[in-house]
Amino acid sequence: MSRFSLYQEEYYPSPLQNTWNEFKQSHIAVLGLWFLTFFIILVLVGPLIAPFDPLTQNIDALLVPPAWEANGGIRNLFGTDALGRDLLSRLIHGCRMTLGISLLLVLVAMLVGVALGAVAGMSRGVRSSILNHLLDSVMAIPTLLIAIIIVAILGVGLVNSMWAIALALIPQFIHNTREFVRQEVKKDYVLAARLDGASKIHLFFYSVLPNMFEMLVVQGTMALSIAILDISALGFLSLGAQAPSPELGVMLSEGLQVAYKSPWSIALPGSAIFIMVLSVNVVGDGLRSALRNRMRH
Amino acid sequence: MFRYIVRHFNLLVVTLFVLSLFSFSLAYLFPGDPLVNLSGETIQSEQHREVLIEKYRFNESVVLQYTRYIGLLFEGDWGLSKSSGLPLYDEIMHSLPASIELATYALLLSLIIGIPLGFLAGLKHHKATDYSLLAISVMGYSVPVFWMALLMILVFSLQLGWLPLSGRISLLFDVPHTSGFILLDIMLSDIKNKETAIVNALQHMVMPVLSITIVTSAIILRLTRRSVIEVMPKGFIQAAYTRGLSDYQVFMRHGMRNSLLPIIPLLAMQSTTLFTNAMIVEVIYSWPGIGDWLIQAIYQRDFPAIRAGMLAVSALVVLLTVSIDLFAKLIDPTRDKSAHVTI
Repeated sequence: MSRFSLYQEEYYPSPLQNTWNEFKQSHIAVLGLWFLTFFIILVLVGPLIAPFDPLTQNIDALLVPPAWEANGGIRNLFGTDALGRDLLSRLIHGCRMTLGISLLLVLVAMLVGVALGAVAGMSRGVRSSILNHLLDSVMAIPTLLIAIIIVAILGVGLVNSMWAIALALIPQFIHNTREFVRQEVKKDYVLAARLDGASKIHLFFYSVLPNMFEMLVVQGTMALSIAILDISALGFLSLGAQAPSPELGVMLSEGLQVAYKSPWSIALPGSAIFIMVLSVNVVGDGLRSALRNRMRH
Repeated sequence: MFRYIVRHFNLLVVTLFVLSLFSFSLAYLFPGDPLVNLSGETIQSEQHREVLIEKYRFNESVVLQYTRYIGLLFEGDWGLSKSSGLPLYDEIMHSLPASIELATYALLLSLIIGIPLGFLAGLKHHKATDYSLLAISVMGYSVPVFWMALLMILVFSLQLGWLPLSGRISLLFDVPHTSGFILLDIMLSDIKNKETAIVNALQHMVMPVLSITIVTSAIILRLTRRSVIEVMPKGFIQAAYTRGLSDYQVFMRHGMRNSLLPIIPLLAMQSTTLFTNAMIVEVIYSWPGIGDWLIQAIYQRDFPAIRAGMLAVSALVVLLTVSIDLFAKLIDPTRDKSAHVTI
């Protein structure tokens, strides 16, 4: 930045501003962000928008087609399912449930993972190496297998499947935090702080952590998409959320029974999951390339 | 180099030890009698209980119980399945090859699709080809596998009737079980109409393999693309251009190999996704593999089966991961120890 400037004041955007400017360049990423915001608003105010209760059954309106079909009505915009429950309300509640739980899980996994990863990254010696190697191999065990074991020990249920998914997400965070801390600790600015007499805890919180947030956000979006897919997969296999609850995977497996007569009952929940995961991934991709490119300017 | 092999072997042994310890402790963690969870036999009388206590050394300390458990594991006595009453070792050896077969074909197909497309996208970086391939791949790995599988069933078997709905091979063919890999079994067997049997088995395979491939090939495409983008601006590529090599020569002789090297260890980390997807797909298509078997076990609360199945699957995955890691180190000794995923 040692260029000659005629003007007294020059504007240097903050790193965050830089990232946003770079992120805005990609229209698709911004579109993804809009979609994600829409879903997050659904999580916050979903029950206020939903026209019906997601669990109320209506025997007079079984398997009503969506409004755009010839036999559909405007009363049930997306039609009803085999028990006469309004699909739109169920979808809204389902998005709320799936995305809300995933957000919560990612947050918990991030807190635990970063704490353990920081300890593993700052420590040296045989103990840390054994811990690291074990973690790397635990990371190789499929999520579904962890979920099966936990469900077998604790029994079927949404909360138990949440434990399983959190356990499956944590190793990834530990791994990335550890590698990041290892690399940063070698750098000069950390050495300078250490020469000033900063303790290890101080080093981590004041020197390393502020530089780690971006990595964490990107990692968090990846974990979020995995969490959404896993929760709905476990719901679909009826290991997670159970039948009447409006979880997207559960809705999909319920719709399976009437799939031939009403294809929309599996098309709608499935595409809701798809669009949700897609928007998360698009935003994550946009963020990643924004972070990669912002240093160029 | 010898040091690396020893280290990896060490890691493998330690991990397998921990896994076996965990699977032993599952007998205590699962609800019910630990003795039943280990043996899978329903205890009918006091004498029967005495026999089982003697067999699993349940009157001695936990450490001795564990050593006895390991001994029995190596003898091939993994206990009985509670739902079918058959030895677990035989059941797992029947269903595991089916899963390996499914995952292998899916991985091979993903490599065949993902790597060339990844090269194409990486070489055309910031061009229309790159953007469209990237868009397709983002969609590819955002699709929920179970939904994709259902849509394929709806379209290809129910609407169009092109492909069979579920299973591994039509019941008309009586293929004896030798290796567990269906195509190999058909070739080894002496049934009539081998060609029709193979065609039938392939038809059963199309949809399960495709639904796994969609996700895996999307991931491989992105890994390859990123690797090509990082390799192409490097000094030795520029030097090759300076020597007057054409684009094709530069890429074939220098770019391709160097961009493939960092992908191999990353593939090991993707094996988790591959296996999870394979297990889900097995349930949907009733493919008689370990995933379908484990899910059935949990529906029937067959705890011995879950304990043994968990040990088998995780041991397999860990073995795979460690050997891929070692292989990557062997072909590329300069590789940094801390290679991590970038997509």
